[in-house]
Amino acid sequence: MEEEDLDEDVFLEETLLQYEEDSAVLRELEESHALNERLQKWKRLPLSQAYVSHTQSISFQQLEIDYIIGDSHKELLPTSSGQAAILRIFGVTKEGNSVCCHVHGFEPYFYISCPSGMGPDDISRFHQVLEGRMRESNRNSNVLKFIRRIEVVQKRSIMYYQQHVSQPFLKIVVALPTMVTSCRGILDRGIQIEGLGMKNFLTYESNILFALRFMIDCNIVGGNWIEVPVGKYKKAAKNLSYCQLEFDCLYSDLISHSPEGEFSKMAPFRILSFDIECAGRKGHFPEPTQDPVIQVANLVTLQGQDQPLIRNVMTLKSCSPIVGVDVMSFDTEKEVLLAWRNLIREVDPDIIIGYNICNFDLPYLIRRAEVLGMAEFPVLGRIRNSRVRVKDATFSSRQHGTRESKEITIEGRVKFDLFQAVQRDYKLSSYSLNSVSAHFLNEQKEDVHHSIISDLQNGNSETRRRLAVYCLKDAYLPQRLLDKLMFIYNYVEMARVTGVPISFLLSRGQSIKVLSQLLRKAKQKNLVIPNAKQAGSEQGTFEGATVLEARTGFYEKPIATLDFASLYPSIMMAYNLCYCTLVTPEEVRKLNLPPECVNKTPSGETFVKSNLQKGILPEILEELLAARKRAKADLKEATDPRVKAVLDGRQLALKISANSVYGFTGATVGQLPCLEISSSVTSYGRQMIEHTKKLVEDKFTVLGGYEHNAEVIYGDTDSVMVQFSVPTVEEAMKLGREAADYISGTFIKPIRLEFEKIYYPYLLISKKRYAGLLWTNPDKHDKMDAKGIETVRRDNCLLVKNLVTECLYKILVDRDIPGAVQYVKNTIADLLLNRMDLSLLVITKGLTKTGDDYEVKAAHVELAERMRKRDAATAPGIGDRVPYVIIKAAKGAKAYEKSEDPIYVLENNIPIDAQYYLDNQISKPLLRIFEPILKNASKELLKGDHTRAISVPTPSNSGIMKFAKKQLTCIGCKIPLSGSDRTICNHCKGREAELYCRSVANVAELENLFGRLWTQCQECQGSLHQDVLCTSRDCPIFYRRKKAQKDMAEAKTQLDRWNF
Amino acid sequence: MLELRLVQGSLLKKVLESIKDLVNDANFDCSATGFSLQAMDSSHVALVALLLRSEGFEHYRCDRNISMGMNLGNMAKMLKCAGNDDIITIKADDGSDTVTFMFESPTQDKIADFEMKLMDIDSEHLGIPEAEYHAIVRMPSAEFGRICKDLSSIGDTVVISVTKEGVKFSTRGDIGTANIVCRQNTTVDKPEEATVIEMNEPVSLTFALRYLNSFTKASPLSNTVTISLSSELPVVVEYKIAEMGYVRYYLAPKIEEDEEETKP
Repeated sequence: MEEEDLDEDVFLEETLLQYEEDSAVLRELEESHALNERLQKWKRLPLSQAYVSHTQSISFQQLEIDYIIGDSHKELLPTSSGQAAILRIFGVTKEGNSVCCHVHGFEPYFYISCPSGMGPDDISRFHQVLEGRMRESNRNSNVLKFIRRIEVVQKRSIMYYQQHVSQPFLKIVVALPTMVTSCRGILDRGIQIEGLGMKNFLTYESNILFALRFMIDCNIVGGNWIEVPVGKYKKAAKNLSYCQLEFDCLYSDLISHSPEGEFSKMAPFRILSFDIECAGRKGHFPEPTQDPVIQVANLVTLQGQDQPLIRNVMTLKSCSPIVGVDVMSFDTEKEVLLAWRNLIREVDPDIIIGYNICNFDLPYLIRRAEVLGMAEFPVLGRIRNSRVRVKDATFSSRQHGTRESKEITIEGRVKFDLFQAVQRDYKLSSYSLNSVSAHFLNEQKEDVHHSIISDLQNGNSETRRRLAVYCLKDAYLPQRLLDKLMFIYNYVEMARVTGVPISFLLSRGQSIKVLSQLLRKAKQKNLVIPNAKQAGSEQGTFEGATVLEARTGFYEKPIATLDFASLYPSIMMAYNLCYCTLVTPEEVRKLNLPPECVNKTPSGETFVKSNLQKGILPEILEELLAARKRAKADLKEATDPRVKAVLDGRQLALKISANSVYGFTGATVGQLPCLEISSSVTSYGRQMIEHTKKLVEDKFTVLGGYEHNAEVIYGDTDSVMVQFSVPTVEEAMKLGREAADYISGTFIKPIRLEFEKIYYPYLLISKKRYAGLLWTNPDKHDKMDAKGIETVRRDNCLLVKNLVTECLYKILVDRDIPGAVQYVKNTIADLLLNRMDLSLLVITKGLTKTGDDYEVKAAHVELAERMRKRDAATAPGIGDRVPYVIIKAAKGAKAYEKSEDPIYVLENNIPIDAQYYLDNQISKPLLRIFEPILKNASKELLKGDHTRAISVPTPSNSGIMKFAKKQLTCIGCKIPLSGSDRTICNHCKGREAELYCRSVANVAELENLFGRLWTQCQECQGSLHQDVLCTSRDCPIFYRRKKAQKDMAEAKTQLDRWNF
Repeated sequence: MLELRLVQGSLLKKVLESIKDLVNDANFDCSATGFSLQAMDSSHVALVALLLRSEGFEHYRCDRNISMGMNLGNMAKMLKCAGNDDIITIKADDGSDTVTFMFESPTQDKIADFEMKLMDIDSEHLGIPEAEYHAIVRMPSAEFGRICKDLSSIGDTVVISVTKEGVKFSTRGDIGTANIVCRQNTTVDKPEEATVIEMNEPVSLTFALRYLNSFTKASPLSNTVTISLSSELPVVVEYKIAEMGYVRYYLAPKIEEDEEETKP
């Protein structure tokens, strides 16, 4: 028997082997065929004949502009020689062909004011001295001539009102862009000039990036269309890039189209969204030095199309097929990486997107290739033989705080990290891809912990398929987010409006955008901008916006809200506030300007009126607001959804830009701070609010013929709330409009007070905290609006948010105060009875630095430290948001000792400190809402009978539990059981049937709940016949599922005690 | 119907003072044999067991076993209102959600009724099984209290080592170290001042002083304290209540963590 079996086995194996050999040959053939097919699919459309024969002007939308140092072009610039900066513009034609345009002849320069009495001879001497000093400080350089030339030009500084039209400035043209900085340094420190002595110079426009300088001078704005006419471009002698069209031209031959009409459209960019998976080791976060990249999923979409062009996944080792996806499996990791590089090269994406690609995926791939010794891998840019460069960078701005990141340069391609973009533009409690998708797309994804990924990879082709599906989803979601949030439209429009390259929008702060506009405008006006000395933050602060005293209470009559439309921009326009209209105190005395020509601001500064000098900032603002009006008007007429998207993005960009001008003047560490302007703006703002209050309360009185006296109950930065004491929304609206028109008439144009909305009812809690039902038409309320209340704050747990929202809804919409009170009581009872969903109790805080850097111990920091000791792989790192719950601890324990990882709490059944949540989380926000409404709110809500039932779970991990024995208690009355009783005590025997039914029902209910939650998770992972692996800390379902599972097990144990 | 009359009312006051710092809310269990409580402290590290046997009460009526949930803080507030010589009676009706404390002055000229709302506490009933211990130390409770207090000003943990010679309490902290040895001493005038050591095997265990200091709050209940130690079991610190029962505290020994060792 046995022998026969054995024989058969061998035989089987032999035939199998044979078969495999055959198929190997076949497979190879098939593979090369498949590869060719893929390449065909991946490639861009070939160039049309007109392009090939150079008989057509080349018109393209540019996305990225940079420069290189190279030899100057002999044909285009026959007169110059040596090294020069060559600008490269990358873009796409409307047919979808990629373009690389080398621009020659543009020279870096800056200005200094010309010392009086400097003649042509002096200038040439000055030139020589400067050249000498430059040579001294750049000894190693082999540049022939540092200072190309010095020209005298007539310009005027933007700072302060000046009566003369212009004065001489020296324009210093240098050979290479980097020399601007070193030359500025020399001039700042001062140089010795014969006849004039030691002089130091204030430089003008010397800190502008070369590419931006070029864009300003050629009128190019980020993401616009550029045309190079026939005959003006020369095909490059040697193709340096992988672009289909590569040519040289002179900067003066470029035609830059302003983004209007046909040129407001978007070229069909290729957008690649990708995600990688790595096989980490147990207990460690994947490290590129050790852990292999096992999968890369890619999704290529043409801008403006709904369906992706290419969907594929590259896997290490075999992977079962996935519908609609090109699965490419390889035997070695090198092949995977190489396949990805080939994809990049063939597909030639213009924009690379993903989630956290800049700080994880891309650096990981590059570092990994280095470890594997693949020198050919990092050639991912559009330039042949040029490797991707990675360097550490920190980005810090007042608005966004400090972030550490990796700066990756992929030449000619725009990287757009959705993680950075979302973090920048939205305030969320968690920025994991999962919760961001849940928030914007209403779509969850399963969150497979990276320690499980290795297990899936080491399984079979089915488990790897599972992983691939997961990986694909991670590549697919960023694209969906990009579409949903209109990032491409909004960012391109922002670049067009402000004139900066698209890449600046993510990597730099607000001020560069304003500076770019300022420089453009100044150039038109023949003004130059001084390179302000970095005064640091010592310039002091100024008084901010005003807030009128809030008359707190619950208003059951309509409250009209009067808003100033774009208050700060309007003030700047109305009073002509600008750098170039500001008059210094000395000048005021000297010039003796007539009072009708100047405005003295409430903060004491003097600005000339526009009849003497029109300000640049007001002009920029006027244009921005006019453009916004136009965009909005066009938006109304537009029918094409894509045109609409562009216009909507534009009007939003215009609004943001207009509002950031004020901030620019007040940014003390910014490019050109001018506190005189910003403090004047706020002082006018304060005056206007006060003025409005006074007018309203003077005019709308019984004496003035109105039914009631109006009362201003509250006023903030740019709005005033008025109670006209009329009973209906309609009447309040009428009076609101009347008041707005009447008061607007007393202001200088374009300051306008608008009546926008009614709050009815209105709950005013304190300054900056209120809630109300918002009405814009008298028939139906629009929505519930809340400011400064815990519905919007994110450092609270979800319970607070839900509770507050629900209470406000009941109070404001249902007008059911007893209902709201009952709701609060039920919620508190649930909390004390440990029936609360744990996800509602999770508090998250961002971990911005390590524990040692924090001065005081903070709950989330300490927890992160403890988690690191438990398992370094799952512990949150710097930059992550740390979720935690507060657990019960010994009396007198500090708050930071009571924080715990929610998952750990679930697993070990650790009791939650309900009292903490009651006292520190929900009591304040609740009392704030209820105090204006309810007498004895605190007693009623927080100390009533509903707080007298509690549940104290027994943790499974505590020291004493190893020794303690659970004693059975009666299921009916909870007294300890003794003797032979196992389920209920003698006294409760009569209720046996009832209690048993209750136990059974309890189990059934929990089983049902758990079943539903489990199915929900299976649906989310996209497979109903596989185990759920997800451990997403952001997902409420996950916590509920875990808790339901635990409760169910407990209920079952209890049921098992009835042994009939 | 429940009615428990305790002539020595101050005893109940002392009992409550000895546990209210460790436990916030707990169920008191009443049965025909006695009035008892078992609860974990709020940080789930220590366990408290209280027993007042029925014989110790002047009058003890408990028709059926019941479990009453009380907030110990609130209960202590009420008992504070009783005079030290007062007779305290605990009363509860079947199915009622309140409990009444009645205080009678010794001369019967003042009677006070305090009614407290009960709580519904859902928790597990835990107990530590009786066991044989390696070493049992009996010493004056005031002495033990003093040692714990003194040591906690120097360190966070105490090592209790029992040898034939005596029992040693030692600690170490930032400012230095401390060692206190109590020798076996049975030749005293009063038996409650004796230090008696029964030892089968030497033991040495580490405990958090924070908890021991909470335990010594029970010192007014008894002149002596019994400390039972075994290397594999939690320590038991027991205060006997004359002719009535005991308050026992259980505390798991601290296992030296890596964290502690790596500290400089």
